[in-house]
Amino acid sequence: MQETKLQQHIPGIIKAASCFALVLLLSACAASTINISGSYPSPLVRKIPITVGVYYPEELRNFSFIEIDDYTGKDQYIINSGESQIELFNTVLPALFENVVMLEAPEAALSDSSIDAVFVPAIEEFQLGLPQKTKLKVYEIWMKYNMRLSNPDGEYIADWVMTAYGKAPNENFQSVDSGVKDAAVVAMRDLAASFTLGFSGIPEVNDWLRDNNHLP
Amino acid sequence: MKRFLHGSIFKAVAIFGLLMSLCACTTTEIDEFRQGETGIADHESIVILGRRQNNNYETEGSFVQCVANVVSSGSRPINVVGEQEFLDAMFPFFEPRTAPMRTVHLRELMDIDVAKSKMDEYGIEYIVWLDGITQRSEQASSISCTIGPGGGGCFGFGTWQDDSNFEAEIWDMDTLETAGSISTDANGQSYMPALVVPIPLIARVEANACSGLGDQLKQFINGS
Repeated sequence: MQETKLQQHIPGIIKAASCFALVLLLSACAASTINISGSYPSPLVRKIPITVGVYYPEELRNFSFIEIDDYTGKDQYIINSGESQIELFNTVLPALFENVVMLEAPEAALSDSSIDAVFVPAIEEFQLGLPQKTKLKVYEIWMKYNMRLSNPDGEYIADWVMTAYGKAPNENFQSVDSGVKDAAVVAMRDLAASFTLGFSGIPEVNDWLRDNNHLP
Repeated sequence: MKRFLHGSIFKAVAIFGLLMSLCACTTTEIDEFRQGETGIADHESIVILGRRQNNNYETEGSFVQCVANVVSSGSRPINVVGEQEFLDAMFPFFEPRTAPMRTVHLRELMDIDVAKSKMDEYGIEYIVWLDGITQRSEQASSISCTIGPGGGGCFGFGTWQDDSNFEAEIWDMDTLETAGSISTDANGQSYMPALVVPIPLIARVEANACSGLGDQLKQFINGS
């Protein structure tokens, strides 16, 4: 009697197993999405006594990088880092400048007389190094940014390129997701560190700060 | 029957003894180089940081944590500030690209008032830089596993060697000079015989390097 009941269930079990196998097969073909998240410490620096208007372009807000599989030519990993980029700048800028005003558009600075300069960060390049491709025991991320500082009326003050690099060791039983996230957080901290310590040292920025008595 | 039992027990004991002797083959060598007097009060602290400037590897956070655990426990424990807590508190001065590489850079950093006051706030008496990696070599394996309706099993043998090389450089925050360095070199052979079930006999190379380095570091800082 029990055997008969079991036999009745066999088609159902086979169906469930087939569905499970199909889902597994499909998930193996799809690109993995990695959302970078992390909290960043506030830099330990003296504030520059200026009010800066900040505009984040849409490309930075929604920045995402697609890593292509070398063998299949299809998307292998989709790395979304826009949210984390904004979080980073939102932590660093208020620590570096006396006042920070968020702008809907760079032109909006004209309507706020307290703004001394407008800062617009942009991401230009993103590269990913996976251990299975580089044969190194680390996950690596490299990013190139373009930073622009202008007067409220749009007149150029400075425009400079910054690079950021981060790596994370490929530890045993670590997922790609976790390795990439760790490397990205290190890269963003690297950007924040060099931006904070190097901002006043950019020749054009330094000249502008000096000319306007803004040096701390 | 009794003879059969005695024979089986003897065989089992012999195999167990052989496995234990194979499992225990790890050697650890520790060298210490002292450049100045050391000592630490109960209210003072140290911080242990991993070097992350090398291109091909970086000192694993888990190893740094392991050494910190050894130093902050047992007899004459030392207060150790957590690595991440210190890095966040001192941000951006101890990031891979901005961290002081030599004591001359440390002296420059301590000229920055915000950095100096934060360091004093934590009561840091020594900064310990850990640099190193565990590498695997001489890997050889011939294990095959099969599974069938009647069951499954593995048969064969695998072996590999682990080699841990770490160096700790100790900076004295009073003199802003190097107080000394400790290096450890541990290596060991691991085996994995498979008789139906694979039996991993892992040489605890990195764990031995950690405990050896941690104990020596504690003695060094305590000044004895």
